[in-house]
Amino acid sequence: MKFIKNSLYIFAGVILFTACKPDIKTPTLTKGNADFSRYISIGNSLTAGYADGGLYLAGQQVSYPSIIANQMKSVGGGNFTQPLFGSNEANGSGYLTLTGFSSTGLPVTANVTNNLAIRDVLKVEGFGNVTLYNKYAGTDINNYGVPGIKLYNITYAPYGNLNGFFERLLPGKAPNNTTTYLQFVTAKPFTFFSNWLGNNDALGYATSGGAGDVLTDKTTFAGLYQLLITTLTANGAKGVVATVPDVTAIPYFNTVTVDAVLAGVKQANPQAQALYVNALSSPSTTGTYAARPATNKDLLILTFNTGLIGTPVTTPYGPLPYGLTQFTPIDNQYVLDQNEVALTQDYVNTYNQTIKSVAASSGLAVFDAYTFLNNIKTNGLIEDGIPLSSNYISGGIFSLDGVHLTPRGYAIVANEFIKAINSKYGSNIPLTNITNYTGVKLP
Amino acid sequence: MPFLAKSQGFQVNLFGEKQIGMGHTGTGVALDGAAVVFNPGAVVTLPDNYIQGGVSPLVFQSDFNPSGTNTQYHTLDKKAYPFSFYGAFGPKKGIWKLGLGVYTPFGGLADWGQSWQGRYVLESLDLKAIYFQPTLSIKISENLSIGAGFVYNRGSVDLTKAIPLSYTNGQDGQAELTGSGKGYGWNAGIYYKSADFTAGFSHRSQVTTTISGGNAIFTVPASIQPNFPQPNTFTATIPLPAVNSIGIGLYPTKKWILAFDINYVSWNTYKNLEFDYSKTSTILTNTKSPRNYKDAYTFRAGAQYKASDEVDLRFGTGYGTTAVSDGYVTPEAPDANRVYLTGGLGFKFTKQFDFDLVFEYEHLLSRTQTNIESQLSGTFETNVFIPGVSLAYHW
Repeated sequence: MKFIKNSLYIFAGVILFTACKPDIKTPTLTKGNADFSRYISIGNSLTAGYADGGLYLAGQQVSYPSIIANQMKSVGGGNFTQPLFGSNEANGSGYLTLTGFSSTGLPVTANVTNNLAIRDVLKVEGFGNVTLYNKYAGTDINNYGVPGIKLYNITYAPYGNLNGFFERLLPGKAPNNTTTYLQFVTAKPFTFFSNWLGNNDALGYATSGGAGDVLTDKTTFAGLYQLLITTLTANGAKGVVATVPDVTAIPYFNTVTVDAVLAGVKQANPQAQALYVNALSSPSTTGTYAARPATNKDLLILTFNTGLIGTPVTTPYGPLPYGLTQFTPIDNQYVLDQNEVALTQDYVNTYNQTIKSVAASSGLAVFDAYTFLNNIKTNGLIEDGIPLSSNYISGGIFSLDGVHLTPRGYAIVANEFIKAINSKYGSNIPLTNITNYTGVKLP
Repeated sequence: MPFLAKSQGFQVNLFGEKQIGMGHTGTGVALDGAAVVFNPGAVVTLPDNYIQGGVSPLVFQSDFNPSGTNTQYHTLDKKAYPFSFYGAFGPKKGIWKLGLGVYTPFGGLADWGQSWQGRYVLESLDLKAIYFQPTLSIKISENLSIGAGFVYNRGSVDLTKAIPLSYTNGQDGQAELTGSGKGYGWNAGIYYKSADFTAGFSHRSQVTTTISGGNAIFTVPASIQPNFPQPNTFTATIPLPAVNSIGIGLYPTKKWILAFDINYVSWNTYKNLEFDYSKTSTILTNTKSPRNYKDAYTFRAGAQYKASDEVDLRFGTGYGTTAVSDGYVTPEAPDANRVYLTGGLGFKFTKQFDFDLVFEYEHLLSRTQTNIESQLSGTFETNVFIPGVSLAYHW
């Protein structure tokens, strides 16, 4: 029996020895030849974490620069301070929430109007009203994302009086600010930057249906971009820049389609033949506008109220139904027509050539957001078993405003920035887990 | 659906503690009633009648490292209890024996939890297949015997995964598919016994198992629930593959038995995993996930040393090729080429009672993959720990 006992002891020993979990040898994390100790982010609403038609605390907390900075911490990244709204003003500018779906499956949204950070509305002569927000009390900022800013604005001294989100970050109050955005972001030293400016130079024109804003001149864009990068790299900082997405890749322009609206109109009014739009005559800034029947290449904006179609409009020829005759076309601001699309795309392509060539000559990493988002529009994207697309709400990437991203969309973008950085600088910043971030939240 | 453990895909080759101890050999060596499954042709050559049962409480520990990160996700420690029961009866030294086997040749238990990065592919899978196999074994000549059995399979599945639809509190939707079903097949073998060696060949047929009327439970935010009609049921069919085995036993001295087996598993019939729902919508559609398994081999070797009249020592090893092609590795069966080591102790308390202990360590080699369907990308590595115990009464 002694032999049996010894055998059992040996047997038990073998079991204990081997009963350990597998442990995969994971890659060593390194910063490569970059220094992430003080990272700053330059950009517009996308950089600020704007989502669902507003800037609010929960969106700021999942901004792509904050996600990147968090991942950088394992390769020597320092603290990353964002100009967050306080908890008593957490809803910031206000934003949209989804309250449900109509009987026909259309989303129903509502505005969040409590707990806002709005302090005043300033009337600026010759410009209009500027909504002012409670001042950001902190002195340290790493995320310089300012909703609405164009590259065109970065050297304009009075800009701190015209953009409430920028004014909020400045020490002084409107209308007395004279610090330019470029001066402001470069006032403190930094070792690494990301820059995603340029979207609004085209998007402002596009989202206003080509009616309320203008495209930034291509040469002006190139000059400012070179100035921006030269200034940012003047003290040896390295960085990553992103290209401007194709404006037609976003659900804001692809959700309400001419065919779908016309089909709806025909159900109620079988005689209707076409929608009419007030369209640009040629893809040029000097083109003129005239009414013509719409095609699916004319893009209606997401917020267009289709209930307007067919309502009577007073004309010299008597009352005529809105949107259904050449005398009562859909207003310019609701539609980015085919030539406006072509014009915008031409400008965006030129901007992107500038961005890529300046980045190349400055040795910067490039995240080609234009190509990335167009690929998603064409092919969709699957990550970690999640089917993603450019579709409104169901696509999971774009938030309720159809322009800005969901937390998951921002996490995906953060990973693409990280991939670009790693590939350029030989670093090994770990990717974030996009499944920790949600798509559109459903009631 | 499937999943896990021992040997390729979701094959579970835990058929008898003595045979596990000898590296899962048994096609060409008849040690006890487990011959019913290893080789029905060998049952009649058993010197005694047998009633025996065993259980192998296994722990499947898998690890996943997503590409481009230093994060690791481990499966939760869940135990599965593959078991076996055999009976073999016939006249002493007669030309026939009847056998019955109840065993668990396929199954899987992988629980990755509800917060890991691949939860939209799989959270947990519990798959069981229990084969019932009545068997007849007949001696044709002094050296040659044959046998065959009918197989009835009772299978069950419980699969959960997250649905990428967020509640307002950020929680995911959940899907759970549970159900059971049945399938039929057969098992046959031929066994040759001479003074110097024994040899055998066996074939276990494919058992196509269909689960119909299983519960399909989808928990999603209220505004989207109409797109996930409830209550709902699903149907799925899994081809549990055929296995061909050939084996040989050598007896160099009175104290030693050496055994070698080769298995060929016809996994290539497992092309797709399909779920058909009784109610569908524009969002909830029937699914068809490519699996494209390929045939797999296992090479096995083992030995038994009779240390004393009361104690047998056993040890063995083996190597199996994966059934899963590159691009098709999933968390349900993070399959890879694998190696294993086994060791066992057999005690004879009386002439009639055998008490057997066994321990197996199995390692699935690290495999870095991007799944074509889910794009889940990363490295899997898996260890399986399988202690086992059995009692046999023979007379």
